[in-house]
Amino acid sequence: MESKRSKYILIGLSVFCMLLIGITSFKDGFLNPLRNGIGYFLSPIQSGVNRAGTSLYNGISNYASLAGAMEEKQAMQEQIDTLVEENSRLQSEQFELNRLRQLYQLDQDYMQYQKIGARVIAKDSGDWFQVFRINKGSADGVQVDANVMAGGGLVGIVTDVGAHYATVRSIIDDVSRVSGMAQQSGDTCIVSGDLMLFGEGRLRITNISKDGDVKDGDRIVTSNISSKYLPGILIGYATDITTDPTRLTKSGYLVPVAHFDSLQEVLVITTLKADQTEQGGAGASDIPGNPDSTTGAETGLESGSETSAGSETGSQMGTGAETETENGAEAGAGLETSTEPQTSQSGEE
Amino acid sequence: MRRILINVLLLVVAFTIQNCVFPLIPFLSATPNLLLILTFSFGFVHGKSAGMYYGLVAGILLDLFYSGPFGFYTLLFVNIGYFNGICTKYYYEDYITLPLILSLVNEIVYNLYIYVLRFLIRNRLDILYYVKEIVIPEMIFTVVTTLLIYRFFLFTDRRLREMEDRNRNRRDG
Repeated sequence: MESKRSKYILIGLSVFCMLLIGITSFKDGFLNPLRNGIGYFLSPIQSGVNRAGTSLYNGISNYASLAGAMEEKQAMQEQIDTLVEENSRLQSEQFELNRLRQLYQLDQDYMQYQKIGARVIAKDSGDWFQVFRINKGSADGVQVDANVMAGGGLVGIVTDVGAHYATVRSIIDDVSRVSGMAQQSGDTCIVSGDLMLFGEGRLRITNISKDGDVKDGDRIVTSNISSKYLPGILIGYATDITTDPTRLTKSGYLVPVAHFDSLQEVLVITTLKADQTEQGGAGASDIPGNPDSTTGAETGLESGSETSAGSETGSQMGTGAETETENGAEAGAGLETSTEPQTSQSGEE
Repeated sequence: MRRILINVLLLVVAFTIQNCVFPLIPFLSATPNLLLILTFSFGFVHGKSAGMYYGLVAGILLDLFYSGPFGFYTLLFVNIGYFNGICTKYYYEDYITLPLILSLVNEIVYNLYIYVLRFLIRNRLDILYYVKEIVIPEMIFTVVTTLLIYRFFLFTDRRLREMEDRNRNRRDG
């Protein structure tokens, strides 16, 4: 009797789970309050354990690395010298660049997005997925679809936000698709994570047009036409570019700039691409076949969260975002007429 | 009541360790799946329905952590708790071979579940690669850890039972 009852409960629970999977695949978000509530209790614990673990590990590894430190110091000193030299050169170049920019009225500097630092407090322990959790959430201005950087390169995108935590899917995850472009030539491509290449520390680049000028060693940055990634963030360097058997496209591999195996601190860009496109009037997300959408079961989820993020954040961008608005619009000038951003700005005032 | 509380606490601790401490250790190429071990141990020792509820809590914890479809892990863990509970009739305390075999089978089921539902449907067909690179390392780690965790689990369980017995005796006497 007892065993029969538990069998019914099992079937009931299983069906309930399947229903939930079905519902949440299409419409994510209504469980967010629950996730939020649990995260409220859990993330301080995770933070604490993480801090204790890190300090313990650092204590041990300090001793181990002391011997190598002296040697490293020598090398560092040399590096500093070269960097100082390079810095002064770059500064003079910066002046020149500024002048030229004023000349062209292009004051776009991609690195001036607003950023906040965050600590990685938890990671997926299995090897199937490359997601991690950071200790900053909506209370600190992090939103769904915010871009995450580390070490000067793109790391991933926020998929889920609580009050004091956020979940980040890194670009090396198997479902990750980033619309990128070669910085020199502007040819677009798609950078996709691949579990099978991750071991070699590489990502896959596909969909370069066959006439596209992408060579080994080219810098690949996030593209202007991406709907979720802000333009101009460095992703990595192209290698082994070859023409596909179909002769229509080229593909190859990408070596990312960020080091994913030793991520501890990351920078979250609080400016969203959705805000820029909304304000600038450039409807990048309207482009058909938008490559940023993830494949498989998560597609419905992604698009759902994208719209919700777009609607709730439109008002948060104050007047300080004016220049960035211009950037986004200017960058998308290949797609949109350049008069549009001006009209939208005057409408704002 | 206290027993439930302590077991839930154990789950949360295991979950935290699995996600916050193991990834920090750089030389671990794979990490043991503590929640899976706890769920199946609980089911194996305490029977079907207990294992099922335990799996429910573990699965919800995991589902809350990931932002995928909700219920993905709960479905799996509820079933793992239940089906390991069936083997409870072969359970006696010092018998370690069957738990090890169960652990192995569970790990295979767990990884197959993820592979089929999250990778195969996206046309990632090279199963041998995934087995070699992900499943086998994780399996070895999990089975080895099972040796330790299962013993620890039995120990805690016995202590809890003793404590309860003592309380009851005191109340009755």
